[in-house]
Order: sequence, then structure tokens, then C-alpha cells
Amino acid sequence: MSEDSAAVVADHHPHHLRRSVGTVTATATSAGLAFAAINFIGVVSVATFAAGSSAWLAILIGGLLAFVVSGVFSELNGMWPTAAGVRLYISSAFGVRAALIITLTYMTTVILVIAADAFLIGAAIQHVLDEPPALAYVWILALLVIATALNLRGITMAGRVQSVVTYTVLAGTVLLSVVALTKPGIVPETPFALFGNGVMSGFQAIAFALFLFAAFEWVTTTAEEARKPSVITRALFIGPVLIWLAATAFALGLDHLVPKDVAHGSAYPQLLLGQAALGRVGVIWMLGVTVLTAINTFNGGFLVASRFVYAAAREGNLPRSFAKLNMRAVPWLAVVVLAAVSAVVGAVVFATGRWLLLVAVGAALEASVFAIASAALLKLRRTSDRHRPFRLWAGPAVAGFGAVLFAGLALASGFSDPEIPTQFSAAPALIVLGLGAVSTVYVLLVVPRLHRAAAARRAAARASGERVRRRPQRPA
Amino acid sequence: MANWDEVDEALADYTVSCNTNERLRKMQRDWTRMLHFVCNDTSDTFSMDVRAGEIVSTGQGHTGVPDIIVTADSETFCDMFWGDINPMPKYLRGEIQVRGSQEDIMRLDAISYVIWPDA
Repeated sequence: MSEDSAAVVADHHPHHLRRSVGTVTATATSAGLAFAAINFIGVVSVATFAAGSSAWLAILIGGLLAFVVSGVFSELNGMWPTAAGVRLYISSAFGVRAALIITLTYMTTVILVIAADAFLIGAAIQHVLDEPPALAYVWILALLVIATALNLRGITMAGRVQSVVTYTVLAGTVLLSVVALTKPGIVPETPFALFGNGVMSGFQAIAFALFLFAAFEWVTTTAEEARKPSVITRALFIGPVLIWLAATAFALGLDHLVPKDVAHGSAYPQLLLGQAALGRVGVIWMLGVTVLTAINTFNGGFLVASRFVYAAAREGNLPRSFAKLNMRAVPWLAVVVLAAVSAVVGAVVFATGRWLLLVAVGAALEASVFAIASAALLKLRRTSDRHRPFRLWAGPAVAGFGAVLFAGLALASGFSDPEIPTQFSAAPALIVLGLGAVSTVYVLLVVPRLHRAAAARRAAARASGERVRRRPQRPA
Repeated sequence: MANWDEVDEALADYTVSCNTNERLRKMQRDWTRMLHFVCNDTSDTFSMDVRAGEIVSTGQGHTGVPDIIVTADSETFCDMFWGDINPMPKYLRGEIQVRGSQEDIMRLDAISYVIWPDA
């Protein structure tokens, strides 16, 4: 190609990638990352705290709050449209160490979601095949091994496939729920009495409803492949609508056909709804939907978390071995360790049967992250004049409101016991604090040692002549 | 600020380092991409055509439709292509901006990591 034609090409394609992500795919990514198998349990948790048949109202309020999150992340993502954005805006607002502590803690939600999904899908498969309960853990391990093997081979899902899977999951859930609503069932009781079990209980229902949208904001990690910045903004606002539709339909269907106490004690309420709506066909239908959610969770979760670990290791904030690549350029140790930790967490959940605790921990972690992001935006409105392609309307007020409210919701879910909703439990908050404490100790004590070791290694290499600056010196 | 000749010299060295590294070639054997680079301080632009892991051509200006667009200052590009810096911290600080899929961004960093693991 001549220089002239090269210039013409550059003029015509100044910013266009050959393969870029549009609104449909980005929205599927947002909704797909959020709508996991754990969401079915999440809906049951919402219904547990919401009085009567008012779960739908809690989910509606949760959806409206998710729009606040959409606005906050849209502005922050516009300022730093990169996969590393979360690190950049938190470090700009609160400092580098705080950013590392928060993102390390944040990444533990990925492990929790992978472990929870592996457990829930394993339990669903075991139930449908009518196998002994112990075999559920075999299924959990099998799912994790398959996901690990696919990741190690560098097999990732194409955007279009991901879109098809996500829209199938959402449509499948809505359709079966609508069929359920056409059947004769339980007459709804007090559909507006969200706070009928007390103010705290209603507040906890909203906190768990917000958890149904958890991880939809991870679509910002695809900002670098978006056709234009507005694609991510649109996905951040449309994704929650799709999640709200599916979660509301499922909540209404469940309330209509499955008694609360039956759904509450089950690890597979979606199968119970399928059974009640369409018998065996409904069970298989919802099992199919459940297994499909795993594709998104494992594909997206492993990818986001392992690449985060790789980047942190390359930066010197994690041991160098986590950056080791296999012959398919996959950070194999990061993938294997993530899978192993997920398997251990899955085993603990399997042994204790306390899957609802995972929901509470996830809800507390996610609300905390939303509070931190809102606080970061509040501060950056005062301290940063960086270009903002999207500017949140009434930004300081909305971000301030979000920071306070999401912190309150984090406390509400952190001190809840979804297993016995009338009781308070500090277990979720203690687990979140424990994860935060481990991250803090790691960042304050271990990371400086890693940095010192790396500096010593470089100095030794320079002194021995093994490593010299390769770039030729320019004449003065 | 580095002029085009310096960037070009660094790019030539990088091309040799990449193409002669057997492990890298094997690792990137399924990686065929067109990369566009933009120096945000000099406005210089250049392209790199990678086919099956081999850099088959580089040159000033933008050719073809890019799979990845990398923007940084000219000094950073020179240091990166000479292997004098680890590009990841600069990427995480927003000093190197990349447009492309996460997988491609990681592959790009992997090149530097495989050739100069101690940078």
C-alpha cells in the first residue's frame, strides 16, 4: 500500500476497529454477567425479607437504584474508558493503595459467584438426574474442570454467542414465568406491603434486590473494544432493565405457584417453578436455562479475574508466577488457582448447605463497591477536570445520595440472616470485613516486599551486566 | 520526545526480537492482527502487521483496518520496543491507551513479557 493510500485509509478509519462491540453485544455482556444461577436464589432471598407478595416492589426499587449505579459508572467509565478503569478512578479519588485494596476485595466477588454458580448448577443437575446428594459435588468439580480446561486452551466465547446465550436465558426465564402466571395458583397477599415485616426487613429486601443486578457494571471492562463510549453507557442503562424484567417475572411466577417456605429451603427454586408450571418439561427447561447461565459466569468470571491477576502480577503487586503464560498465552497459574479456590469455596458451601450466606456476602460486597464508586465520583467532581463524555445529571447530589444509601444497604445485607429472616447475623459483614482485612494486610505488608524484591533483582541484573538499558543513548 | 527515526529504530529491533523468539512465535501462532500506533506527543502514526505471530511489516502511517490501536508518547514507545520498560504499569496508570479486545491487549503485553521477562 502506498503512503497516499495509507493516509486515505487512516482518514477513513481513524478510530474504527475491525472487530468492535456494539450496543446489543455490550448489553448482553452487562446482563449476562449479572444474571447468574445465584440470581434465582437472590430472588428467593428478596421474597424472604419482603412481606407478602411485595418482592416485585423491592426488585423495582433495586432496579431504580441500579440506574444510579449506571449513571455513576457511565461518568467514571467515560473519564477512563479502559479495563483498568476501576483502578484508575479509585486511585485518582482515594490513592493507589486504597485502589489496590478495594479492587483485590472486589475480585473476590468473582470467586464467590463462580463457586456459588458451580454449587447451584451442580445441585440442580443432581436433582434432575435424581442422584444421591453427594454426587452434586462431583458435578461442581466437573463444571469447574471443564471451565478451567476451556480457559487454559484459550477458548473464549465470541460476542455473538454470548449475546445469544444471554438473551436465551433471559427470554427463557420470562417465558416460563409468564406460563406459570397463567396457571391457577396462590392468590397474592399484600403486594405493596414491602415494609410489612418491619422497616429493616424491607430495607434488607431492597439490599438483596440490588444484588440481583450485581456485576452488570463489569461491562465497563470491555470499554476498549466498544465502538464508541456511548455503547457502554447504553449497555449500563439497558442491561438493568433486562435483568429487572427477568427477575420480576421470576419473582411473580414463583410467588404464584411455589409456597415461600418451599422455595426458601431449596437450592434450585427455578426447577420448582418449572415443575409447577409445566411439569417435567418445565424442569428440563429451567435446567437448560441454569446451565446456560454457567457459560456466561464461567466465561466472563474466569476471564475478568484471571486477566486481573495477570495484570497485577505484571505490575509487581502479586507474585510473578501469576503472570506465567502457557503456550496459548493464557495466564495458567491464575486460572488454576481461581478454579481451585472456587472449588474449595464450593466444597464449603456444599458441606454446610449455607448457600444463602453467599448471597448475603455478595450483596454486602456489591453494595459496598457501589458506595465506593459513588463516593469516588463525588470526590472527582471536585478534584478532576478530566474530559467527561457522559456527565451524570445532578452528579454531586446523586453520587452523595448513592454513597450514603449503598453504604446503608451494604450494612443491611451485611447484618442479615437470609436463612432466618427474623434474626440478625453479623456473619456476612464479618466475612466481607475479613476479605477487606486480608487485602489490606497484603497491600500494606506483602506488596512493598514484592516491589523491593523486584527492584533488587533489577539492580543485581544491571550490576552483573545481565540487564543493561538497550536503547541507544542519544547524543546530548 | 523521540523523533520518527528513533521510533523506527526501536521498532526494527522489536521486530527482530519478536520474530527470532521461538517460544513467542509458537505462543502467538494463531494471532493475526493489524496494529495501529499513535504517538500523542508528535502525532506520528505507524502500523504493524502481525500474521500467525510473525511481524511481517511495520511502517509509518496507518495501513489497513486495525484490530488494536495503541496510543502513548513517543518516548514510551521507544522504551517499550527496546524492552527497557514493562508496559503493564503504564497501561494500568492510563499512560498507554489501547483500543481492542481484552484478549488482544493481553497478547500485546505478553510479547514484551516473553521477550524481556525482567523488564
